[in-house]
Amino acid sequence: MDLRTHYDVLGVEPAASPEQLERAYRFCLDLYGEGSLAMYSLLEPEETREARERVEEAYWVVRDPARRRAYDATLGLERPQPPTLPVDPFAGCAPGAVELAEPVTGPALRRFREQKGIGLREISLRSKVGVRYLEYIEQERHALLPPPVYLRGFLQEYARALGLEPRRTADAYMALLPPQS
Amino acid sequence: MTAVAPLPDTAPRRQIWSLGGGKGGIGKSLLTGSLGWQLARMGKRVVLVDADLGGANLHTCLGLPAPTLTMGDFIRRRVETIEEVAQETGCPGLRLISGASDFLSAANIKHQQKVRVLNRIRALDVDIVLIDLGAGTSFNILDFFLISDVGMLAVVPEPTSIENSYRFIKSALYRRLRELAPTEGVREIVDGALDQKNPWGIRTPLDLLAAVEREAPGQSDALKEAIANFNPRFVVNQVRGPADIAIGHQLVTACTRHLGIRATYAGFVDYDDTVWQCVRQRRLFMAAFPHCRAAEKVSRLARALLQNDGLVPPHR
Repeated sequence: MDLRTHYDVLGVEPAASPEQLERAYRFCLDLYGEGSLAMYSLLEPEETREARERVEEAYWVVRDPARRRAYDATLGLERPQPPTLPVDPFAGCAPGAVELAEPVTGPALRRFREQKGIGLREISLRSKVGVRYLEYIEQERHALLPPPVYLRGFLQEYARALGLEPRRTADAYMALLPPQS
Repeated sequence: MTAVAPLPDTAPRRQIWSLGGGKGGIGKSLLTGSLGWQLARMGKRVVLVDADLGGANLHTCLGLPAPTLTMGDFIRRRVETIEEVAQETGCPGLRLISGASDFLSAANIKHQQKVRVLNRIRALDVDIVLIDLGAGTSFNILDFFLISDVGMLAVVPEPTSIENSYRFIKSALYRRLRELAPTEGVREIVDGALDQKNPWGIRTPLDLLAAVEREAPGQSDALKEAIANFNPRFVVNQVRGPADIAIGHQLVTACTRHLGIRATYAGFVDYDDTVWQCVRQRRLFMAAFPHCRAAEKVSRLARALLQNDGLVPPHR
């Protein structure tokens, strides 16, 4: 079956509540879990693992209201914005957030990070972006990077964790990507 | 015996229900017997048909002696009508046609005989014919499953049972698709699909449809329709906890996503000591302990099946 959207992957309606999403996520984790009975003889272990990763990816996007809104917009779905407090546009930036002195490439980001003596795992904990994706960003492994809409979010989290200005850092990195990556 | 209010009749015509599942020893006969008993108590006129190949023992599950007349007597024309081999069970509205031990074995029942049996079963003056298919995936078993209005698959939470039920589903569906194949070429693809190493790389009905579209564009409509109408109902037996109950939901989801088949989770029945104690005493637990956990689940199952309903996963 062609599971196109994250909602399809989790087996819920796009209007699902956070509670429904979480229950669906747990259901799918059991379904594609190690030693799942229901998958026995139906999928190869490798396929089950891929399905599990797809579930993780889907839930990672939709569990976060902001990411979910951005994702829904790419699907052409309108969702009423929950009421929010007035937001300071620079909230989340460390005071005195800086911009990289050189073109924002993967290696440049890595050098900046290493100068600050911050490990990827630490950034992952702060940013909630998986270590694997942080590595892909630094190594510029474009084929493995998520679609632009997520990549931008990852980059902003990465930048924020390093005290870099999130939006401009993400824009600069993405501007240097080859087309259609 | 307390009275059970009859349900509104949602089944206006005679229906054939069958229970298979590929694997032996997972409680199919007991499920069939108890489900039939419950349906009769709900006011349905039911005939149980024991089509179990290896060991026809539905009578034992019901606490009855070995029958004097069986389906074999009808097939061999020792009796005139199928009604003559239907024995009373002591439960009002419930009768039993016992299987000859070789009832469905491919070697012993010819196509014509099968058609005659099917026609006579269809003509029985009852509300529901409930067939215990027994273990296996022989053509005759699959054919009885395919002619059923409600085709149930019993599974227990064990890999062997799960594996056999997927095999049963594929075997039954491919047999139907084979009949419907519009050309020799399409039939060849369907035949090939059952072979794991087929040249088209087909592993699931979804792959099969794709292969037919590729090799014979525009000729998959009848197959698509048959797949859409193929609706097996899972019954999970011997559940020991919530994780076992969830397996039914997982099977339905797995069928939808990875086989392209719309299955239903009809219900589950607990693993219950009362049940095997009754089996040893040759009494039906439904009658002896109508309020035990297993009996309650069988009632719920009967209700769901009559209402063409199923269990819904918690996140829906």
